[in-house]
Amino acid sequence: MNDSPLGKQWGRTLRRMGWYTLRRSVALFVTVVIGVYLTILIANMGGHVDEIRLAQIREQVGARMMADEQLQTLPSEVIRDLMEREVQLESRRLGLDRPFIVRSFLYLRNALTLNLGRAEHVTSDTGSRQVRLIILERLPATLILFAPAQLLVFLVSIFGALFLSRRYGSVLDRAVIALTPTSTAPAWFYGIFLILIFASVLRVLPFGGMVRTPPPEQTLPYVLSVLRHMVLPLGSMFIGGIFISLYYWRTFFLIHASEDYVEMARAKGLSPGQIERRYILRPTLPTIVTSFALSVITLWMGSIILEIVFNWPGLGRLLFEAIGLFDTPVIVASVVIYAYLLALTVFLLDIIYALLDPRVRAGHQGA
Amino acid sequence: MAENGRLRLKDLYLHYRSQKGPVQAVDGVSLHLERGRAVAVLGESGCGKSSLARAILRLLPRNVEYFGGEVWLDGRNVMELSEEKFRREVRWVRIALVAQAAMNALNPVVRVGKQVAEALRVHRQMTGKQVRRRVRDVFRQLEVPEDFIDSYPFELSGGMRQRAVIAMALAAGPRIVILDEPTSALDLLTQANIMNALKRIKEEQGTSFIFITHDVGTSSELADEVAVMYAGQVVEVGRADRFFPDPLHPYSRKLMASVPRLHGGGGLEFIPGQPPSLVDPPEGCRFMPRCQFSFEKCREAPPLFHTDDGRGVRCWLYEQGCEAGLAAQREPTAAVEPMDDTPPPEDA
Repeated sequence: MNDSPLGKQWGRTLRRMGWYTLRRSVALFVTVVIGVYLTILIANMGGHVDEIRLAQIREQVGARMMADEQLQTLPSEVIRDLMEREVQLESRRLGLDRPFIVRSFLYLRNALTLNLGRAEHVTSDTGSRQVRLIILERLPATLILFAPAQLLVFLVSIFGALFLSRRYGSVLDRAVIALTPTSTAPAWFYGIFLILIFASVLRVLPFGGMVRTPPPEQTLPYVLSVLRHMVLPLGSMFIGGIFISLYYWRTFFLIHASEDYVEMARAKGLSPGQIERRYILRPTLPTIVTSFALSVITLWMGSIILEIVFNWPGLGRLLFEAIGLFDTPVIVASVVIYAYLLALTVFLLDIIYALLDPRVRAGHQGA
Repeated sequence: MAENGRLRLKDLYLHYRSQKGPVQAVDGVSLHLERGRAVAVLGESGCGKSSLARAILRLLPRNVEYFGGEVWLDGRNVMELSEEKFRREVRWVRIALVAQAAMNALNPVVRVGKQVAEALRVHRQMTGKQVRRRVRDVFRQLEVPEDFIDSYPFELSGGMRQRAVIAMALAAGPRIVILDEPTSALDLLTQANIMNALKRIKEEQGTSFIFITHDVGTSSELADEVAVMYAGQVVEVGRADRFFPDPLHPYSRKLMASVPRLHGGGGLEFIPGQPPSLVDPPEGCRFMPRCQFSFEKCREAPPLFHTDDGRGVRCWLYEQGCEAGLAAQREPTAAVEPMDDTPPPEDA
């Protein structure tokens, strides 16, 4: 294995991969920049949000002046002047005096350097306006719920699908196919039913939230309380996602089980387990890994409606609140982090592909 | 149990389920194969040749309607073995398969040598060194450069891939190898090379071959015996040196006449009509609707008639022996009256 031609081949492979990696990272970075810039334009409504903000400033300043009794004695022209000065000052502080197009690039630079700035309306539970702190506060809540849910659906569907593909046409297989259309309804839809059954009728599980109020002070009761609150949202995500996922992977494995090399492996007298591992799972691993990685990054966004239905303090609800309040910094921050995560995932996938599939490693086209 | 590589199929059936009804892909096939011999199974596409290969190795698809019969291997009916026992004791160690479309028969993400070695590790419990030596040996036998042991399948040309698949089949030293259209996708030179390698292996190692093909030309290279399949049945079986110059069954004669020849002149012949549907095959003789010699008796299914020189033919013309049947086909109108609902005979 270690004779020189093969070594040379590896050297060449490494060099090509290095060059490829460089090109890929540049391309991905450009994609992130474009994505984030578009988000900035959209979140600011192409600069229209400035007018809304200016009006808000004017209103705030006016209200402040009306409240100031000393000012009421001054002539109205002076008050108007004063007001105008205040508004100018405030808008300069926020940078609104410069044209939007210039500021959009400043926003872009800040976003890309993860200088996330301050929120305009949303605050963290500790009262901070730092977008970074707000997001960091919400992130664990989302991860703790969605990571187990995604993992559960993924693993159950992969292994369940292998099981079903071995029993093609069995009663169980038909049952799963028949249940697949249930996945057209979103998870929160099932969530509402689960809440009705388990929270309002049976009264065994909480309606929503992440932890009992007031939160238990010791760790163990706290964890148990969180777990109890997780059951229903997790269950509804599982019900909402499992059948379509099972169906998809089952069909995927069935298609790959009829490849010529699988037939050949059967003729070779390999055991069903060996065939499944080496001839079905191994060649399809790149696809499985991709699907898993893409489902992992959707974690970041959480799920807006599900979090609202279950009153779960996660990122999805944060984004919803921020959009409702025109809180541009929070929206942009959510998107820029998502964009970075997505780019990083795609980048890692490229490398994993090359490790898993010799055809990719060789830069082979087609096949 | 002695591994002498004798294979006898008796009334082998393999029917598939389909929307329109059962597909009678293999319908009562009986065949004999002696050690170190090669039998060519000839027939058009869709006559059940590949299904026969799968039936012998019990490689059944998911939609099997009926599978039965006897497969006697070295004096034992292997149809009675459990799936697990059959897998361990028959597949690859005794009977190996080179599948049709062998271009995709290799796992794309595993090195070629490793795939060839896999069968050895699973079945023969060899050590790493022995495995490596054996892989080198079979590669050499098929004239595959040894460098390719560490290559991936996509790095090999079509011909080399095909050789690697054959090497894989030979690696565990099976007595019987089923070749399902092994050279159909290759160019003539590569075909000839591979056929020569197979011939050498047959002579040197006494491996028996079941050579499934629609290519009459290449089959004559390797075959000691010929079995012609039509609509899931064997319609003619016999020694190759008798068959090729003088086939008996009207279908075999048409099949041979459709092979282009350099000398001898005359246009190519074709067989009128379509191959019959295996879902609803014609009653009686299955070739009757396309046969120019058919007569009243053909409405009954003919048995396999045995001729004096040890050949078998499933045609009523041979009820009175070989000579009568051949004579009838030379002068169709003199011996039998063509039936009304058949197309008029063409000039042969």
